[in-house]
Amino acid sequence: MSIMDYNGGALIGMKGKDCVAIATDKRFGIQAQTVSLDFTKVFQINPHTYMGFPGLATDIFTVYEKIMFRKRLYELKENRKISPKALASLVSNLLYENRFSPFFVEPMIVALDEVTLEPYMCDMDLIGCVNKSDNFVVGGTSSSQLYGLCEALWEPDMEEDQLFETISQALVSACNRDAISGWGAKVYIIKKDKIIVRDIKTRMD
Amino acid sequence: MAMLSLCGLSDDTLFKSKCEVEENEAFETFQSDNTVNQMNLYSLPGNPVENMRMITARDTMGRPIELNFHHGTTTLGFLYQGGIVLAVDSRATGGQYIGSQCMKKIVEINDFMLGTLAGGAADCVYWDRVLSKQCRLHELRNKERISVTAASKIMSNMIYYYKGYGLSIGMMLAGYDKNGPSLFYIDNDGSRTPGKVFSVGSGSIYAFGVLDSGYKWDLTDEEAQKLGQRAIFHATHRDAYSGGIVRVYHITKDGWKHIKNEDCDEIYDRVKNEAK
Repeated sequence: MSIMDYNGGALIGMKGKDCVAIATDKRFGIQAQTVSLDFTKVFQINPHTYMGFPGLATDIFTVYEKIMFRKRLYELKENRKISPKALASLVSNLLYENRFSPFFVEPMIVALDEVTLEPYMCDMDLIGCVNKSDNFVVGGTSSSQLYGLCEALWEPDMEEDQLFETISQALVSACNRDAISGWGAKVYIIKKDKIIVRDIKTRMD
Repeated sequence: MAMLSLCGLSDDTLFKSKCEVEENEAFETFQSDNTVNQMNLYSLPGNPVENMRMITARDTMGRPIELNFHHGTTTLGFLYQGGIVLAVDSRATGGQYIGSQCMKKIVEINDFMLGTLAGGAADCVYWDRVLSKQCRLHELRNKERISVTAASKIMSNMIYYYKGYGLSIGMMLAGYDKNGPSLFYIDNDGSRTPGKVFSVGSGSIYAFGVLDSGYKWDLTDEEAQKLGQRAIFHATHRDAYSGGIVRVYHITKDGWKHIKNEDCDEIYDRVKNEAK
């Protein structure tokens, strides 16, 4: 078993029409043992900028704190909010610094640009190779299942409601085929004037 | 030899020991495939235990991948005043991947005996099928149902024959015979133990937690069935490799009876509402 699969978890980011969504499961486990049921792996970086961290739970917090430190430094220096694109470079750089002793997380950024409100979405591997996406990004132990579901369910230009429906269905179905993901889920829909957060019911076994 | 032909006897029956004749018969059956003799499984020449170690697959780093087809499971069984209760989950996994949520992990051997499966799916299903056949043959030969003790011994002897070959089986055998109800635990190490309370599989630690705290000899039938279901349910909640539906069976002097199948998801909702 890879260290990336030690705690389990599933994450998706999805692009809609003038909106983006990010969804996470809530399980925190140690291999087969489910320890906690309210472990969301999604963090708000800026009002319209969210990040998801699939991977090793201990590194999720370390990397998140490190990113926030550098992001604040950047914003103080520049006196403006960081753009999602710049954030991607920042995170990528941080991860590559640890090329030979990596953090075991594969972060994803799901955002609307704080100025232009343009949707932006990317994920990366654990040493910071950025993969920009125009439809969806997936991560976590059930990523193969998630790819299949997103590939089948995703459509271009989805409105808020349809986006919510699609991302939730993809996450729930993927969790149902993965032993170490699930135990509840949370969906964030990011729109220019509103952030909608909903808890999703999943199987609890 | 002249004397023999004068008496009309053929020499191969008289001067060969009974053991020798049986050995030849056994050899003949051994030559046939496993539809005749289920104990006849192919293996490479040489020492099969060593061979199984040698042929284990290796990953990209050259580390051996264990040929262990473990599927996570939670099964339990206990003896009490009103007979025996068996309860099992229904999830089958291959690594983290959930292959099935509706696997039947209780095998109905005859009207009075049940077996539970844990470990390698193929191993369990195959050897339980062989056991079913042996039990039926015993019944036909002796005009009497096989005792649980005898059946469990057949099973453990069959498994023991393949000890070290990498079989992965952890089963409970429960039934009602002329000696009353009995429950056995059998595994691939060759151990076979009678007992009152057992739980087998990756979720057994969680199931035991619930089971041990609620178990009494004097349980009523309904209490016992609920306890079995509850123990499995809590195990499926904590153990990633257990889940699906909880199946509950009850064995009495009238044979086994299937009590209920309930989806873990529905049990979760009910338990949550009851807690409120």
